Amino acid sequence: MMAAVASRRSVARADVRLRNVAGVWLRHATAFKRGYLIEISAILIEPLLILLAIGFGVGRLVGEVSDVSYAVFVAPGIVVGNAMWHSLFECSWGAFRRMQLHRVYDSILTAPVSIRELAAGEIAWGATRSLMTTAAVLVAASAFGLIDSPLGAGIVLIGVLTGLTFGGMGLFFASIAPTTHSLTLVFTLVGTPLFFFGGVFFPIESLPDFLEPVAWALPLTPAVQAARGLSTGHFGLTELLCVVYLAALAATFYPLAVWRLRRRLIV
Amino acid sequence: MVRMESSGPVRPVVRAVRLEKRFKQNVAVNQITFDVRAGETFGLLGPNGAGKTTTMRMMACMSPPTSGELTVNGLDVYRRSREVRDSLGVVSQHDGLDPDLSARDNLIVHARYFGLRGAAARARADEVLEFFGLTGRAGDEVDNLSGGLKRRLGIARAFMHRPSMVILDEPTTGLDPQSRNRVWEQLAILKQAGVTIAMSTHYMEEATALCDRLVVIDHGRILAEGSPAEVVRRYAGEQTAIVRVDAGMRQSLAARLSGQGYQVFDHATWLAVHGRDGERPQVDGMDPARIVYRASTLEDAFLALTGRELRDE
Repeated sequence: MMAAVASRRSVARADVRLRNVAGVWLRHATAFKRGYLIEISAILIEPLLILLAIGFGVGRLVGEVSDVSYAVFVAPGIVVGNAMWHSLFECSWGAFRRMQLHRVYDSILTAPVSIRELAAGEIAWGATRSLMTTAAVLVAASAFGLIDSPLGAGIVLIGVLTGLTFGGMGLFFASIAPTTHSLTLVFTLVGTPLFFFGGVFFPIESLPDFLEPVAWALPLTPAVQAARGLSTGHFGLTELLCVVYLAALAATFYPLAVWRLRRRLIV
Repeated sequence: MVRMESSGPVRPVVRAVRLEKRFKQNVAVNQITFDVRAGETFGLLGPNGAGKTTTMRMMACMSPPTSGELTVNGLDVYRRSREVRDSLGVVSQHDGLDPDLSARDNLIVHARYFGLRGAAARARADEVLEFFGLTGRAGDEVDNLSGGLKRRLGIARAFMHRPSMVILDEPTTGLDPQSRNRVWEQLAILKQAGVTIAMSTHYMEEATALCDRLVVIDHGRILAEGSPAEVVRRYAGEQTAIVRVDAGMRQSLAARLSGQGYQVFDHATWLAVHGRDGERPQVDGMDPARIVYRASTLEDAFLALTGRELRDE
């Protein structure tokens, strides 16, 4: 019995083939190419509308926040918040749809692909979507003069890291969701609260004292903080710790998603 | 378009020995032992819930056996799962086609997991599409294909990497007669080219038409094994008499024929009387106009083996 358990573990630890991770990623790229005109609206147009309405519309009423104009304050947060939405949606709703409704995962697993590779390909694609939207909105925000420092280019990397973190988290939620309907919770209880209370629209410091630590622990907060640091040229130890925290979250959710997917798919 | 198997002594490709699968307290597959031999078409025949899909999934490395031995080409399906899957083509019951890709891209994307890519993958996709009569639909959305075309595309995808064996779980369930016959023809051609085929089905004609050898399973156990003709002869004889009989006489006639050693099945307004081996059943004392003799079928044997109660109630 113990021997059987041990051998199962050793199988689970088997090699990860990049060929297969790339294969899963290319599946997404192929599907993306088919509908890219529609995708542009989600990647660029929608976040740009939010940026303009909030940054310039609301910004005119607000004036300055943390010594910069409100539009400059809010732009990096909207960029990475949007990166979160893209990977979270792709890897929760999109993944669930592929896995449960269309049995695409079952088909992939009839080929010599492991669950680790499948999950890595899914998350890599989620992060790719985050990369595309971060780069597109960042260029637009720069054109509007909302990125003060040349360090702002580094926000692309924060966008990718945000994509990896929320891709892993989304895939984990997909792997434990019993029904499509239950996945709504990912948006109402995870995405929306993080977007509105993760420091995108107002400084965490303006929250009541007891809520501040909670807001800092929310997984979008470090991404927003690091992106804002790069945008304004103030990237210090706090921002570096934010990046480490984000990477740690990504490194936690990936194995969790793999574990739950294996339990769900290999029965 | 497929790899030729070398001729020689028939070796088992799949070996299952006392194979068992439990889901908590429920025993889905109960210590079954069977072989699938190189180049043959092997059928797993059983009613709904018999354990067919579970067995197929274990062979396809999708479900680790609880106990017993299960090897494909001598490799354990769990420990050597990757190598096993490398050599298999698998067509599951729900096609598992990717709705976000065109028909052709479904093939090309899948082939990549087997290391087939670029121009070689595209050329192979076109070849396979042509064989399965899908060339004209190559660019179509999967959702726009009919059930029959989807199934053929699913089978086509399983052949992209030239597997030496394919596993098909109920390949024609839900298809119209034209589509079913088309699938049968294509499987027969692939078999002739040397591909080993393991399929599950609950269609008797399908098993009779395609399978060299089959096992009948029910409640997770093997009830019979052999060629379709052997199984029919052993469990339903070569000939069956269908006797139309009035309600009042039915039970007494059934009892008398059973007493003579025949297997008799009461179908409410008629009796099916199976002969022993090659013998024609003798039904005495009945108006000959009420008796029709016909060749026994696999369905007769199947009902004799698995009983007549409905399975999804």
